[in-house]
Amino acid sequence: MRSWTRMLKELTSRPHTRQIRKVPPLPVDSELPKPLSPKLMHSLLGESTDIIFREFSLRGQEEIPCTLVAVDGLIDKLILDSFILRVLMVDFAGEKELEQMTVDNALKTVYKFLAPAIELKIINKTGDAVDAVLSGDALLFLGDTGEALIIGSRGWANRGVAEPETESVVRGPREGFSETLRTSTSLLRRKIKHPSLRMKSLKIGELTKTDIVVTYIEGLAKPDIVQEVMRRLGRIKIDGILESAYIEEMIEDVPYTPFPQVRHTERPDVLAAALLEGKVGIMVDGTPIALIVPAVLAQFLQVSEDYYEKAVIVILVRFIRYVGAAAALLAPSIYIAVATYHQEIIPTTLALSIAAGRSGVPVTALLEAILMTLALEIVQEAGLRLPKPIGQTIGIVGAIVIGDAAVKASLVSPQMVIIVALTAIATYSIAYYDLAIALRLIRFPLMLLAGTLGFFGIGLGLYGLLIHLLSLRSFGHPYLSPVAPLRIRTLLQDTFVRAPWWALKRRPQIADVDEPRGGGQ
Amino acid sequence: MERISAHQFVMLGAAVLMGTTFFPVAQVALGVGGRDGWMAVLPAYGLALPLGLMILALAREYPGQNLIKISETVLGKWTAKGIGLVYLIVSIYFGALLLAQVEDTFKRSVLQLTPHVVFIGAMLFLVGALAWTGIEVFGRFAEVVFPLIILGLIANMVLTLPRFEWEEFFPVFGEGIKPILFAVLKLAPYACEYALFVAGVIAYLPQGGQDQTQLRTGVWRAVIIVGTVNALLTLTELLVFGPAEAKRLNYGLLSLGKLVEIEKTISGVESLFLLIWMGGMIIKVGAFYFMGMWGLQAVFGVQDHVKWYLLLAGVFFVIGLFFQNGVELVQELSVTDDYLILPLAILWIPLVWGIVRWRRRGKAG
Repeated sequence: MRSWTRMLKELTSRPHTRQIRKVPPLPVDSELPKPLSPKLMHSLLGESTDIIFREFSLRGQEEIPCTLVAVDGLIDKLILDSFILRVLMVDFAGEKELEQMTVDNALKTVYKFLAPAIELKIINKTGDAVDAVLSGDALLFLGDTGEALIIGSRGWANRGVAEPETESVVRGPREGFSETLRTSTSLLRRKIKHPSLRMKSLKIGELTKTDIVVTYIEGLAKPDIVQEVMRRLGRIKIDGILESAYIEEMIEDVPYTPFPQVRHTERPDVLAAALLEGKVGIMVDGTPIALIVPAVLAQFLQVSEDYYEKAVIVILVRFIRYVGAAAALLAPSIYIAVATYHQEIIPTTLALSIAAGRSGVPVTALLEAILMTLALEIVQEAGLRLPKPIGQTIGIVGAIVIGDAAVKASLVSPQMVIIVALTAIATYSIAYYDLAIALRLIRFPLMLLAGTLGFFGIGLGLYGLLIHLLSLRSFGHPYLSPVAPLRIRTLLQDTFVRAPWWALKRRPQIADVDEPRGGGQ
Repeated sequence: MERISAHQFVMLGAAVLMGTTFFPVAQVALGVGGRDGWMAVLPAYGLALPLGLMILALAREYPGQNLIKISETVLGKWTAKGIGLVYLIVSIYFGALLLAQVEDTFKRSVLQLTPHVVFIGAMLFLVGALAWTGIEVFGRFAEVVFPLIILGLIANMVLTLPRFEWEEFFPVFGEGIKPILFAVLKLAPYACEYALFVAGVIAYLPQGGQDQTQLRTGVWRAVIIVGTVNALLTLTELLVFGPAEAKRLNYGLLSLGKLVEIEKTISGVESLFLLIWMGGMIIKVGAFYFMGMWGLQAVFGVQDHVKWYLLLAGVFFVIGLFFQNGVELVQELSVTDDYLILPLAILWIPLVWGIVRWRRRGKAG
């Protein structure tokens, strides 16, 4: 015992021999050398092969040295070639402005008269210059004046606007957000053409400097929620944001719950609808997935198509979805409880059929269910990561071939195969993947409780789950709203059912805005 | 400080008033009141009205304080501490008895071989978790569960309709009105349990003028909903079992559940109904758990700390385990109701209310 403790002490007290390396944080602008110059930019960026330093002269003003700095692959070369370099090096010759140009006024002259580009800005801070170049803009130096001209020339390979695969619809828009933030914001702006649509930009990530846009509709979104979003985003300290999931995990209210507390979408129409309900959107550069806060549980069982179909149809579809969610969560547990403890509640013929099916099965109903559900999870996970044709084969082999063989070998009962298959199908009826995963996870403890305590165990699990859900909040908004706390109008109009559009006269109560949806019509 | 909305107060109050009373109500009402005992149920629950309204009137005068704290101002520190101590003891003891009743219910009906400790431990875990999350979550829990309990009870009653024997209803007033009055008296402690809970929860109620009206209406609503449903339940048991059999059944509702058959496919669904009623049990035990905490805070000045929640759970656990005999348990519940809860509620609440009113009149005069 003593030797163990001594060894532990030695291990913990051993001095670090490894050299700890650290990426130096990017200095703030006041710490950078001044003045801004091509030479300084070269010292800051020059070692990377993708950085372009193009030196040239203005035609007719050879004494003013010009340098264009940009990152190859992030710029639209056509813009720079045709509207900057060509103008300055060829077309510019003979103009009267050229005659009056000196090193001191060169930049302003180009800005005012000679560069036919929309996004132009004169800067003198080195930090701004580095940010601009690394974001895809070009930087133009005319002489060594301590100033430079930023030219908006961003243009890189992107996959364009495509239909979102994870949120496909039968009826509704086919366009989805893209990895380019500006494309995504433009898609949103096209949906809401009103000056109240706000987009606040910030950068998160010490190294990635990822652009984030917080969007909401002024007057509809609660100022408290907007402030809280900005506060939570502001306190994120991380070196890189590569997907909106990073942000999602860092801004949610309760980290230790399987339930999603932030909604995400790839669809501009879904985000626009959420903003119209007074919610706040968070868009992240480099991913097509936008986040929506606050989120309540009922919304994870709704899809955009619910608002594009007739209300009567939606009532049925939503009912099916709720039944599906309940089956996904409870079907194996109820089967275990009935087969093990409560045979009296089913007809005798069914009880006999279950008993006959289970005869020869070497394990208890609980173990049988857990093993089968686990096998199902493995098949699902294996199929998910493989190319589509192979994934389908895995599904067929897993579900049909192995399932059939297992029943014939009396390893599992046919009823259990039916229950597990039903559970799997029911899981897919849940529109939102994160919620489906949460329910898949909770299914296991529920099965254990059902196997040990029957319906009492299921009751314990469900009431425990209810207490947990009731204690959750998303940005201060109760997670089970509008059921608890009761918001009767929202509950009746757009939760388990959806009222027809002509009856949805007011916004959901989360917005706390009295203005009718029809703008007072 | 946490707050609950007027609607949550209505639901929470109704859920506490209903609690687990749907189990013994028919046996008590028909046992004391005979064939006409069902008529005593609504008036007995009606006692909750004056008591509830008195407490709300006091809450308006002393916002943000519970009745023990108000009593300190009105009756003096040590008298209030004494009453608070009785409140604390009654809450813990009765809450633990209810916990034992939950265990008894499940053990009798569906899981005969499961050890007592499992039921009590599991229920206490849920109740403790609910209490730890706070009164606001407790209110929301009631908002979700109470409608389900009412629906479950109505379903149980409707599904036993084919077994009604209408001749059991007659003769009406065959034994006169006296047994009904005795039944009212015997059922009155159920209303007093509610009143004692309201005495504690007033500290968390909203203070606005419009809220006050809603709160007062809420007391009315709770009494009418719960009184009516329990009266109908008693009537159902009367019509299905008859007065003689119904007063013999400790848990008549469970026997009622056993008789339910749906489309000759699903039968004996009392285990399914128990799932719903379990929510009522959690609310009732939870209410007394909260009352115990409020008592501890008011009398001993303890802070809202996890150790006190665990200590309280420990006391509930030990007392709950002590009562394992169903008949003995029912007797103990009845004695506590008759000799502790009823006197405490009908003496304490009107006394404080009366003094406050008298003093105000004195000032005005």
